[in-house]
Amino acid sequence: MTALLTVILSFLGALVCGLMPASAHQRIRWVALATAAAGFAVSMVCYLNLTGGEIADKKNFDWIPTLGISFITGYDGISLPLLLVTGLVAICGVLFSWTLEDRANQFYAYYFALIGGVYGVFLSLDLFLLFVFYEIAVVPKYFLIAIWGGVRRQFAAMKLVLYSFGGSALVLLGMIALFFLTKDTSTGEAVRSFSLIKLQEGQVAAEAQTWIFLLLFLGFAILAGMWPFHTWAPTGHVAAPTATSMLLAGVVMKLGAYGCLRVAIGLLPQGAQEWSTCIAIFAIINIVYGAFVALKQDDFKFVIGYSSVSHMGFVLLGLATLNEIGTTGAVLQMFSHGVIGALLFAMVGTVIYTRTKTRMLDELHRLIDRMPGIAWLFVAAGLASMGLPGFSGFISELYVLIGIWKQEALSGWILVAAGFGILMTFGYTLVKIHEAFFRERRDGDAPVAETPYPAMTIPEKVGIAILLGASLLIGICPWILTDKIKLSLNLLEAIN
Amino acid sequence: MDLDFQQLLLTLLPDLVVVVALFAALGVDYSKLRGAALAERYETAFHISALGLLIGLVMTMLQAAGKISVMDAEATHGQLNFTTGTLTLKAALFVLGLAVLPLAKRDLVTAHASEYFALILLATLGMGFVVTSQNLLGAFVALELVSLSLYAMTALNQSRATSAEAALKYLTFGAVASGFLLFGLSYLYGATAELNLAKLGELEPSSLLIVAYLLILVGLGFKLALAPFHLWAPDVYQAAPTPVAGWIGSGSKIAAAALLLVLLQPIANSPELKDALVPALAALAVASMLVGNLGALRQTNLKRLLAYSAIANAGYLVVGVLAFSDDGNISVLFYILVYSVGSLGAFAVISVLADRLGREAEISDFNGYWKTMPGLSIAFMIFLLSMAGIPPLAGFLGKFYLFFAAIGAQPEAATLTDGYYWLVAFALVMSVVSLYYYLRVLKAFLVVTDEDNEAKPVAVGTAAGLSIFALAAILVVLGLWPEPLLNLLPTK
Repeated sequence: MTALLTVILSFLGALVCGLMPASAHQRIRWVALATAAAGFAVSMVCYLNLTGGEIADKKNFDWIPTLGISFITGYDGISLPLLLVTGLVAICGVLFSWTLEDRANQFYAYYFALIGGVYGVFLSLDLFLLFVFYEIAVVPKYFLIAIWGGVRRQFAAMKLVLYSFGGSALVLLGMIALFFLTKDTSTGEAVRSFSLIKLQEGQVAAEAQTWIFLLLFLGFAILAGMWPFHTWAPTGHVAAPTATSMLLAGVVMKLGAYGCLRVAIGLLPQGAQEWSTCIAIFAIINIVYGAFVALKQDDFKFVIGYSSVSHMGFVLLGLATLNEIGTTGAVLQMFSHGVIGALLFAMVGTVIYTRTKTRMLDELHRLIDRMPGIAWLFVAAGLASMGLPGFSGFISELYVLIGIWKQEALSGWILVAAGFGILMTFGYTLVKIHEAFFRERRDGDAPVAETPYPAMTIPEKVGIAILLGASLLIGICPWILTDKIKLSLNLLEAIN
Repeated sequence: MDLDFQQLLLTLLPDLVVVVALFAALGVDYSKLRGAALAERYETAFHISALGLLIGLVMTMLQAAGKISVMDAEATHGQLNFTTGTLTLKAALFVLGLAVLPLAKRDLVTAHASEYFALILLATLGMGFVVTSQNLLGAFVALELVSLSLYAMTALNQSRATSAEAALKYLTFGAVASGFLLFGLSYLYGATAELNLAKLGELEPSSLLIVAYLLILVGLGFKLALAPFHLWAPDVYQAAPTPVAGWIGSGSKIAAAALLLVLLQPIANSPELKDALVPALAALAVASMLVGNLGALRQTNLKRLLAYSAIANAGYLVVGVLAFSDDGNISVLFYILVYSVGSLGAFAVISVLADRLGREAEISDFNGYWKTMPGLSIAFMIFLLSMAGIPPLAGFLGKFYLFFAAIGAQPEAATLTDGYYWLVAFALVMSVVSLYYYLRVLKAFLVVTDEDNEAKPVAVGTAAGLSIFALAAILVVLGLWPEPLLNLLPTK
């Protein structure tokens, strides 16, 4: 029951927060922090309990036998890093929303409904159940953005939800096809089950694999922010309140990538091989295009939004390698971007914005004079985002690059292009940091006060420490996660 | 074999109780309450009819559970078909009828207090007979009983001139549709010389049946509001008293869908009929999804929006019909049941919030109710998200099952046009569109802050509150635990 507690506690937290009166926002935020911390604590227990690559803590109940649907949950080395990052980001999301008072009860009700859905996806071992949780995570996003968001929030919320729902429509079609077309390897009869384990044991005819893989991968990749279906991500991230952007970039985009790996690649190895070059090309476009667009943005939050698109390109690229080291890099990148993306959104959306009241880069200059501490922390976060050695991004991107190198099916040009993408990341990160923090005041700029901005609050400090610390920890000791990831990836037929 | 009248009395006891309640409500209103205040007359008529329907419901459930013995089809000379499945449907209709009654008593739209309730009971009885009848003519007469009651009820809104106009429109369209249906049934009888619906499945197909079915599809297409026979729906939904609109959108749809499944049985075994009728049915499905979903996008009136959403949902339903399998039939019935619960619930909330204030139920009239009426707003969210097909609510499982059954009918599709992959894909695209307008409505309820301070709290009342709570609870429970109902529903 251990792992399922994450889901149960989150939904319970949503209920409790929702039922508390809005005026009790101080108590609500402590309840929220406790709920998020409890979820993370449970994930940590899961981490300590996992020894091999096999699925741990497996629970199996009949749910709707008429339709071959069971309630099967469990976790392994692939879902574990994602459980952990969900816990971390959930805690920090609460910390960076510490001053939120407007409709706080509803905010946390939606917030934890979303988080419960996310945990559920990572724990589901039945495709139908996974889909249910996946959809549960869709609707709260709409309300979180439409109610508490910034400019153009209604548009952004609707766009984001329709993209997510469109993606899941593809997934739904693919999963019904899998139900009927997966055949038992010995008898040749349809397995007629949604259990991921049974579907994995079965066999799908080669030509069916091609199109079912396309449906499933594309459906999930929309949520992972794959070009050209990424446009929901920057608009959604920018309009969302900080905690929601952190969740969107940190966790929700990983739902899509996780689905690509667990469902599309895990169940349809031949389909994956057929499409791998195509995925790699799209991933490269993600990386390079995201970086170029980030370079052109004036709104600091849009810079981070497009950098997320760019970083998710590395996840997709890692998946396209279909070998152990590349996919390990992809899973590690999911964790790494989870913490770093959340950190950057927190810095820009809350730490800097609450002080400067603007996110437009041409209105910001020499922030280093007025908020030196924050500025240096942001530089550190930027270095993490660039993937400097010592941070988790370095390890994951390195793994992905080695994965491409080792995969003979992928052309060497992919590697070159990926390397170019990394250079681009350096480029836009440094340029934007310079513009915001170090650029001298130009003639046209408004004069600024000399007085320093208020210092960081305690929740802000703790949140930054957690996220930056997590990235450093994995950057220095990557084996904490990679050992577990590898063991489980080896059990997937597609990875060899 | 002679009819065992004693046994027949026992079998039809639930319906007799409802009939007695109906006359009691009328009688008390005409005699004792002559000249009494309107509110008091409504209250009395409500109590009598609710009591009658409740007793009828309990008895029907006892019959379905086998505690009260019922005659089998043989013993009724093939007139009635009381099985666990049909009795479950009948019980579900009685439950929905019970949910409508408290709404009808809230707004005193007409001076005809007892007639209002009597008509609701008559419609409920008719629906019950449509799903339990095994005779072609019996089913038709029962369906007409439903329709006539609904026509009359639509005109009851005396405060609004459009009410009578909509009723006339409904009646005119409906009469023509009934004509088509009856004409089709006569062809069906002419081709088969069989009035017993149970034997339809075993018949030799003949080409005359194609004509019969096309006519039947027109007739039932009207009752289900399938495009292009949907034109009456938006006006009727908007102008009818809100509880009546809810009842038109729920109970009558269940009856029509059940009859459609029974009548279409012969198609399953006949490739010839399938070739001719599958394109017609698929065209109805596609047209309805298209007209309904695109039409709903630009509505500003909530009732009209729900009418278009009903058209779209009838389109989804036909996707399940097209499976022509046991799975398909159960999925259609499950879907129409949960859809009806959602739709009725949405109308119930509108009735509580808008009618008291004399509003037209424009979407913007509901701005900011999250603050003053949080419970109703959450219930409304459950109803709409269920209709949109968001898990874990029952509407999701209903839609999923429809698509599942449609693909399962022919999963090994060599090309895109084989099987129903293309149709399901189209339906899924349309569901994405539908989420847009459902969220637009929910935005008014749950997102927008009410600056003009118009979203004043409204007294819901115990009975109406209970009814809305029960409808929302049904959607949650059936979404999490649908297995018992799925096993109870009849395969034909």
